[in-house]
Amino acid sequence: MLQIAGALCAIALGTPEPAAAESTVIFADAIYTSNGDVIENGAVTIVDGKISAITPGKTPGDDDVHVGAITAGMIDLSARVVRGLDTVEQTNEVTPQMRVEHAIDWFDAEWGRQRKSGVTTVLLSPQDQNVIGGLSVAVKTAGSPELEERAVKRDACLRGAMGQQPSSGNHSAWGRPTDFFSRRPTTRMGVEWEWRKAFFDAAQARAAGTEATPDAQGLLDVLDGKRPLFIQAWATQDIRTAVFFKEEMASEGFGEVTLILDAAAEAWREPELLVRSKAAVVLPPLPDYGRAEDGAFMALSTAKKLVDAGVPVALSSHGAKADRDRLAMQGALARRGGLSLEEALEAVTITPAKMIGIDDRVGSVEVGKDADLALWNGEPFQATSRVVGTVIDGVLLVDPQQN
Amino acid sequence: MNMHCFQSIRRTGAVLALAAFAPFVAADGKLVIKAGKVITLAGEPIENGTIVVENGRITAIGTDVQAPWDAEVLEYPGLVAFPGFVEAITNYGMDRSNENVDVAPFLDVRDSIDPVNFYFENSLRAGVTTLNVQHAANCVIGANGHIVKPIGMTVEEMSVKPGAGLVLSAAPKGGKSAATQAQALRGAFGELRDYLEDVVQEKKDGKDYARREALYQGREPDEETSKGRAMEGSAWKVEGLELVPRWEIDEKQAPLLKLVEGKTPAFFYCGSPKDVSVAIEVAEKNGFLARTTLVLDPSCWKAADVIAERGLPVILDSTLVHIETDPVTGEEIETFVPGVFAEKGVRFALRSETALNQSLWFQAARCVGYGLTREQALAAVTTTPAELLGLGTRVGSLAAGKDANVVLFSGDPLSVTSKVEYVVIEGNLVYDRSTDVRMRHVETGEQPENTAPADEAEFDPHPEDKGTGEENGDEEEAEEEESN
Repeated sequence: MLQIAGALCAIALGTPEPAAAESTVIFADAIYTSNGDVIENGAVTIVDGKISAITPGKTPGDDDVHVGAITAGMIDLSARVVRGLDTVEQTNEVTPQMRVEHAIDWFDAEWGRQRKSGVTTVLLSPQDQNVIGGLSVAVKTAGSPELEERAVKRDACLRGAMGQQPSSGNHSAWGRPTDFFSRRPTTRMGVEWEWRKAFFDAAQARAAGTEATPDAQGLLDVLDGKRPLFIQAWATQDIRTAVFFKEEMASEGFGEVTLILDAAAEAWREPELLVRSKAAVVLPPLPDYGRAEDGAFMALSTAKKLVDAGVPVALSSHGAKADRDRLAMQGALARRGGLSLEEALEAVTITPAKMIGIDDRVGSVEVGKDADLALWNGEPFQATSRVVGTVIDGVLLVDPQQN
Repeated sequence: MNMHCFQSIRRTGAVLALAAFAPFVAADGKLVIKAGKVITLAGEPIENGTIVVENGRITAIGTDVQAPWDAEVLEYPGLVAFPGFVEAITNYGMDRSNENVDVAPFLDVRDSIDPVNFYFENSLRAGVTTLNVQHAANCVIGANGHIVKPIGMTVEEMSVKPGAGLVLSAAPKGGKSAATQAQALRGAFGELRDYLEDVVQEKKDGKDYARREALYQGREPDEETSKGRAMEGSAWKVEGLELVPRWEIDEKQAPLLKLVEGKTPAFFYCGSPKDVSVAIEVAEKNGFLARTTLVLDPSCWKAADVIAERGLPVILDSTLVHIETDPVTGEEIETFVPGVFAEKGVRFALRSETALNQSLWFQAARCVGYGLTREQALAAVTTTPAELLGLGTRVGSLAAGKDANVVLFSGDPLSVTSKVEYVVIEGNLVYDRSTDVRMRHVETGEQPENTAPADEAEFDPHPEDKGTGEENGDEEEAEEEESN
């Protein structure tokens, strides 16, 4: 809306080159940059969808957009816009070449809800009924309904899962009619075996000089460090399995895996293990009474313990839709667990951006970066305030004056 | 601690945990609480304030008050004292929250309340000191409620006010249509009238069935009640009822009679905007509209004008934002429900989602995020529910003469970083976070040696009504199936 207004203005003034005049300015009592700076009474100037200036000590006029606080747009690495069976290719348990980007409905109502909650970039992944589900894609929550333009990073990581979920619902084929779930693995150990077998086969085939199949190539890319491995592991035993798997790949000489753990609710138990393996952690929403999935217990101070240990931590909604489970409130609950405002902010902006290597474009309020902003009516990550506006690529999609 | 020992702790966990917050009873009931800041909600906040308590009541409050020389003194210079929160209505903490019987005003939740239920313990942790325990909405007319404090091992110890009011529901009970529900509501009062007319007729005919039935039920015509006559001063007349002594009224009918006489408050559930007019009609025709509080589903904001016109107070659902998907365009329309009622000048109270998360402090804080003033938001979890429960002179704010229900926060009560450090109820220190092992477990994961967190199945903080629980289970299963 503001962009249109800007354009009209430019025409009215008869400016020959409207590009230079197409600037939007948003004022705030405080701008939290995600780089450790807080700029009081500042303004963010946007030109051509990028942040062109951050100016302190600016006073807004009556018609200007003025909010309590500006932060970078939030990044949810475990979002679910496409969900359920649409993202699980059931023909095999190991499908490293499946791309979730081919299952995205750009017209899903969930995009609007994501935007409304201040989330501007999401990482979409195949869900976890497969052991190795496929390739994730990072996209903006608004913009053109074309993958090429919406994507921030394609094939951002390879997604898989430890624990019970890949085997849940599966059963052996004996003694009952064959159906959809007559397949392996049927246990936790079966899941682990599938992981090992897939990577060993790929690595040994390469060692033998055999040309890699497309599936094997997807695994070799991970071993070669081309993209991180994004593994869902709720409970301590599954977190250990993931870490030991990574270490095994290194000790076998197959390659150095970059590990990101998703939904690692119990990561607080052994932060030193994560430090040792240089793993990053994506946390699920804090459950009532701490009881998460797969028997995991998530303490209120989980994020705090990990940050203190030096583990990179990102908060996520894990696909939950309730207001409380979305990032703004998860940041607030992380503060209740002991994080500072600045640490909570980093855990939903610059840290997740760095994890998947998109921090050159998004994740902080910095000149030259994409103008993706969350606008708040008060102190960010506080029970008494909320996201009232969202800017993506310079476009004011949720207007704080109407919200 | 060995395994065997821990097992027994788990079995008697609630008992032990409550014992851990064993009430600190001040000598001679005299207690002084000094806090860095006292938010009274009965005037301006007091910096470095002192609250003097005697026999459970506040006797003085201010900066410059004389403390009795022999009083225990609790000094919290870094904390903020705040009135205990008031839960306007809750269906938790009892055996089951719904009855199979449609019309059951003769039941009393006093018989259902479970003092060691986790719900009360969690309420205490969140600083809720007064709770109106009532039957849930799956009824036509439910049991008599009971207002309690979340401390004590028996209902008698917990009791703040028995006979706290009847619940009625204009929202269809499971399996009923809206029309059947409305008729069942009207029918219940029709039956009461028939019964009373029969009793009067019997009196006129010189029969004494009612008297004999009353004696058979074990009621005695004691001095006071035998003098009182039914339907004194009621808007709802049954010709000749003044002939019948109160004690002769059948105890199954007596609670409903008290309702139409305006002697009992009514909490009327409305599950949709259309239910509001049914509730108002029934309450008005039967003479208890003035004592009615509506308990509303979020969608009922659409009936706010009707409610405002009648000047009825409301208790709002824990879901603060009503989301409706336009059936034609698919557009999602969000409405901040307390905002609508605040704008119309309707008195409203808020409810907790669960006891531990999204408790009353959080609900009030969210309301501020959506544009209510702090005063409006705080009133909706303290003074307004206190007034709705008829306890306006006892709880909801800190002032001389009121119950000494004080919550000590580590900071601003509405801040996400503030914690409830201590709770004082009626002058007794009943909660201390530093000794709360369960809270420490939730916060840090710390737990006794060689143990794992209890299974989800074993731990049920809010045992739901068993009748509807099964249905919910089925739904969840179906969902799981789908996602597989």
